[in-house]
Amino acid sequence: MMAPNLDFLGRDVVSARDFKRDQFEKVLHAVDDLESNRGSLDGALRGKLAALLFFEPSTRTYSSFQIAAEKLGMRVSGFAGPTGSSITKGETLHDTVRMFEGYGADVFIIRHSKMGAARFAAENTDVPVISAGDGSREHPTQAMVDLYAIHKAFGRIDGLKVGMLGDLRYGRTSSSLAYALSNFDVEITFIAPEALQMRPEVSQFLKQRGVTPRTERALKDVAAGLDVLYVTRIQKERIPDPTEYEKVKGMYEVNLESLKDAKPSLKVLHPLPRVDELSTDIDETNYAQYFVQAAGGLPLRMVLLNLILGGRR
Amino acid sequence: MAAPERERMLVSRIEEGTVIDHIPDWRADTVSRVLRLDKLARMQADVSVVILQNVTSEHLGRKDIIKIDSWHVDERDADILCLVFPEITVNYIDEGKVSKYSPKVPDTIEGRVRCPELNCISNTEREPVVSRFVTLKEERLLQCQYCDTLLGFEKVPDHVRT
Ligand SMILES: [Zn+2]
Repeated sequence: MMAPNLDFLGRDVVSARDFKRDQFEKVLHAVDDLESNRGSLDGALRGKLAALLFFEPSTRTYSSFQIAAEKLGMRVSGFAGPTGSSITKGETLHDTVRMFEGYGADVFIIRHSKMGAARFAAENTDVPVISAGDGSREHPTQAMVDLYAIHKAFGRIDGLKVGMLGDLRYGRTSSSLAYALSNFDVEITFIAPEALQMRPEVSQFLKQRGVTPRTERALKDVAAGLDVLYVTRIQKERIPDPTEYEKVKGMYEVNLESLKDAKPSLKVLHPLPRVDELSTDIDETNYAQYFVQAAGGLPLRMVLLNLILGGRR
Repeated sequence: MAAPERERMLVSRIEEGTVIDHIPDWRADTVSRVLRLDKLARMQADVSVVILQNVTSEHLGRKDIIKIDSWHVDERDADILCLVFPEITVNYIDEGKVSKYSPKVPDTIEGRVRCPELNCISNTEREPVVSRFVTLKEERLLQCQYCDTLLGFEKVPDHVRT
């Protein structure tokens, strides 16, 4: 049997669609290794340069990549947002990438408000590109972080019933996680108001991979059967009729009351930051997996950079 | 005069150019939109266009025909037509000699179609980016290779680049 191509060397990470089960598992196991042997990757990429190009600000994601790169011993350059950088003067993504390639960037980490920006960047450089979120489409490294949180809680991903709740239509983390999960033997339920249900192309892709997601309107109808509940924020401005939304808002709030029928083993995930969709009541319960999830961001991004840039084995 | 005879008077042979035949009746406007025939005017091209509508057809009952004198339609544009009108045929005429082209659904479409998602990088004017779609033939959908948005074949004429 031919071994699957597990080589991450020089790879782009622009969409969770581009990765298969074995590749996700390789990343998860590498994070396990790093977690049990902390510090083992410190300095592994000394001398390499990471270009963080954040055309759209995101302090949390920026810091997460910056700290990961620095712990690996990398130098970091670029910008954390459009203000003060060359893009306020109208520099295109294309030219910015070419410029930093000339400066000797070994990897690009790109955040952009346009959908597909990371793929476009990757087409225009030989340097590997990692998407740190583009438009409302994808956030592939967050999907890996989310997958790791599930793996850590259950020791497996197969056989789980996963509910995804909130703004599935515009939530970039939800689409990427759904793509990633489609590699495993899982049952997925999309829980969202009609206007924010998952986009057809995501469901289409899942079906190609043999996963047929269920769609539901209310959390209470499905909470009891779930092993994992992935919560994302609903932004009111996304809803065509805000007054209509006020009436159904309660159906998408996660608190002790809405989880009263849930399994004791349920794990709640959230990519953070949260607003009011996830009550702090949950924080001290066994359901809360989101702080563990957040803590996985740093080692996961270290592992990924190390694999892509051929650092320490 | 019988209807077919009357129609024959409308249809004269061309020596050089393209005849697009078997267009469903009253849909010639969609064809000219997909072929961007208006660009011929902008180019001040020395061509003449005859549009026949609702003429009798042996197979279709009624059909439209477009004849473009002294202009060869790009095969790749004809292939896009085939997404909407699979029964369409294209005849290229060179010095009176006719060669038939049967358009086929392409595997990929580059540049000719605009992504329906306005926030897609391929709709960013200042970036040097060319739209790219793959066709999902069974589902009769195009999929943008940048943002993954799906576009039904029948909606393609509304998204042809002008
Ligand atoms: Zn697009």
